[in-house]
Amino acid sequence: MNTMIRYPLAAAVLAVGVGFNVLAGPLPGQVDFGKFTPPGDGGQFVEVQVNSNLLSLAAQVVEKQQPDAAKLLRSVQLVHVNVVGLTDGNRAELEKRVRQIRHDLDAQGWDHNVSVQGKDGQDVGIYTKTRGGEALAGLAITVIQPREQVVLINIVGDIRPEQVAALGDKLDIKPLKDVGAALKDASPKEKAPKESAPEN
Amino acid sequence: MNPSPVPPVRRLPARRLWLWALLLTPVLLLVVLGVGVASCFHLGSDAWALRDGLMKSGSVEWRQKIALNANYLTVGTVRAGLSFVKLDPGARAALQSVRSAGVGVYQLPSGTPQPDRATMLDAADSAMTGCGWERVVGVMDGKDLVAIYVPGKNVSVHSLKCCVMVFNGKEMVLVSARGNPEPLVTYALKQPGFRDQARWLAQR
Repeated sequence: MNTMIRYPLAAAVLAVGVGFNVLAGPLPGQVDFGKFTPPGDGGQFVEVQVNSNLLSLAAQVVEKQQPDAAKLLRSVQLVHVNVVGLTDGNRAELEKRVRQIRHDLDAQGWDHNVSVQGKDGQDVGIYTKTRGGEALAGLAITVIQPREQVVLINIVGDIRPEQVAALGDKLDIKPLKDVGAALKDASPKEKAPKESAPEN
Repeated sequence: MNPSPVPPVRRLPARRLWLWALLLTPVLLLVVLGVGVASCFHLGSDAWALRDGLMKSGSVEWRQKIALNANYLTVGTVRAGLSFVKLDPGARAALQSVRSAGVGVYQLPSGTPQPDRATMLDAADSAMTGCGWERVVGVMDGKDLVAIYVPGKNVSVHSLKCCVMVFNGKEMVLVSARGNPEPLVTYALKQPGFRDQARWLAQR
């Protein structure tokens, strides 16, 4: 009798589990940038996708030497980077696509924290998705460098701005410190009204 | 009715068994040695799958320049042999990190039109994802193409596998390696210039 109950129950649990797995969408802070076609004529194309398996492995490797870096790596679930060189053939389409991504992020409730319009036409947008009151579930950065390339970065996880800043301080890496500071400003606790600052 | 008599079991005399063993041992050793030596000139299964996918993808007839493979036994023997030799700490860390490795170099025959890098990358992706690998990095710049693959599941720090493809417009290099990156990373992190290099990389 026990067996008669146990097997169907196990099958039901398995089916529900599989069902949830199938229904489970992307991670909360994940952005689907879509698939990019490499530009012809030897244009630049970079695609990096590092998932939690590899990040956790990297954390294990640096654990003894850099515990702070390991902690930060453990809090990240996915790093996705796309760099596509702009050519006459793809410029209009790619710029339109990046603007569409920004529009979608705004529509999906992401916070648009930083917007920089550079002198040379560089257009940077930094978006964050918060998790609770202290952490970020996702960070999305979009960059259009008109005569060069578009860059799209998505970092997903449970990112604590103070961790990023502390690591930047410890390793004395200024860009990391700046990102940490920017994230701190963007975090919900200390968030100021959104600023769109043209670069002088 | 009488039961049929059981035929007596004929046993080979122990001396004859020893003789057979003595005769077969050198033959077996030769076969093992032959297979071992032959395997040193063939890519491992992962790199072979990548090579196969790329070869079948286009109309390009790649010319093999070299294919070398060092399995656990070979690398272990080299490591054991070099343990008595005074080595540069970096070289020793690298040796401790690698468990097995294979490399294949293929050349584009002169006059052959340049293959499409996007097609090559697609073919490599199909071949590797079919074997349960994931592409971590893909770079195309000018004539260069670089792709790095790692297994999608069962990634372990003690036995990390990776496959790398590099094409520079003339030659294609396929590398597969398995190892434990910990000694190499520990060595790199201990280097005095590491912070400067990390800063330099971050600024790029």
